Amino acid sequence: MTHSLHRRGTYEELKDEYLLLVTIANGVNNSPDAKDKLRRVLDEMWDVGPVNTGSNETGTILSGVSVDEIKQGFTKVPRIRCCFDSKEKIREMLKRMIAMDLGVSTTISGPRKDIEELCQEFGIHPHSANLSLQVWGTTERLPEEDVMKFITMCGHGLISRALVEDTIQKVKAGRMTPEQGAVRIGTPCVCGFFNPTRAVKLLQKYVPQE
Amino acid sequence: MIIDQTKCIGCGICTLYCPADAITVAVNAEGKRKACIDQDRCLECGNCIRKRVVKCPADAIYELPKEERSVGRQMRRFFSDPSTTHPLTGVPGRGTEEVKTNDVTGRVCRGELGFCLELGRPVLGTDVREIEKATMALAELGVQLENSNPLYDLLKDKEKGTFKEEYLDERFVSAIIEFTVPFERGEEILNKVKEIAQNAGTVFSLDVVCCYDEDGTLPVLALCEKMGMEPRFNSKVNVGIGRPYVIEREDRERRNAQ
Repeated sequence: MTHSLHRRGTYEELKDEYLLLVTIANGVNNSPDAKDKLRRVLDEMWDVGPVNTGSNETGTILSGVSVDEIKQGFTKVPRIRCCFDSKEKIREMLKRMIAMDLGVSTTISGPRKDIEELCQEFGIHPHSANLSLQVWGTTERLPEEDVMKFITMCGHGLISRALVEDTIQKVKAGRMTPEQGAVRIGTPCVCGFFNPTRAVKLLQKYVPQE
Repeated sequence: MIIDQTKCIGCGICTLYCPADAITVAVNAEGKRKACIDQDRCLECGNCIRKRVVKCPADAIYELPKEERSVGRQMRRFFSDPSTTHPLTGVPGRGTEEVKTNDVTGRVCRGELGFCLELGRPVLGTDVREIEKATMALAELGVQLENSNPLYDLLKDKEKGTFKEEYLDERFVSAIIEFTVPFERGEEILNKVKEIAQNAGTVFSLDVVCCYDEDGTLPVLALCEKMGMEPRFNSKVNVGIGRPYVIEREDRERRNAQ
């Protein structure tokens, strides 16, 4: 599914957010060594330094899961999901993916033109793109945009409006720091795409002034 | 999901985490505060029973053993809990791997467009009747839904886009109507999508998959501009390092024939 797409926010807010997906294709290249390949990717990814990673089976580092647990929890069709908070990190990760030459499908979600520039820099030709053509239908029933920016960090729809609104209220009241709030809101995201760095920045504007 | 009323201490910690607002706390006949899950609203997303998410101090939230869950409840789970794997797809989640593995599956090749209408996303959720409105409208155009998407399994009449009656009242966090058409049908499809949006009783997130041309351009951008549908700047790009590589329809057909 398209759980890394449709994130809300301005370019300024999203320009440092890159989501990496490394996916074995069921029935195509899920060879016996697929898990070993993805364990190598996971080691490299961890070395580069993601702000979040996880798996649907185990949960995320944000919720207290270790990388070893994620590694051991690989299913027969393994996949890696993680979030980087800078263009430099995704550049380094893409460089390592190309160098490893494992033949596994790699997708990056983020500002499209910036990703295309990175591909050009490394001399690779992107295969295809999935473009968000916005949200349609009864959009007037959706929460306000500031709340949507948090909710859409989980494309699986597991972050509730109530949790975001309650957390904002707690930060406003000085009963929770932005860092605590970011972890609280991001915990329900099980795949590891929630970006705590951006969440902290978004919550900082609610901190009461001295 | 169910809350054991004998264990619940009424702290309400679970209520905030439910994306369907299905959990409320009320005072029972004995004057005790207890949390309860509205089974009509519950989408079986699993948030409340994840130990690292809702840390229920009384360990009061549980689900029935698999063999005791109705088919409808199991369907809710498939379309709401990303940790479940539908037997039809063999991959976790409520859709296919779409662009994620497109460089090796060739699901969408050059000269084609892949569409996803994710009903219920974001926030509002959807029932199957809403999905059916959209699939019936697309069926009028002769659109063939992706047969490895779990929705395909629930269809009653694949030509008309109708669903089996036993699923019509079920509700999901979201469900993805997914299909691929020749590129030249893109305008017709997008016009139909606008019509679907006018009649929708919920929201849907719309996205389109397109291959890059040899010169590095994305042909769908010109179509979007013509239709007045500007894509968001943040997209999902398959960088094309998977193998065996497939981008032309002929390559896909050859591979499928093997």
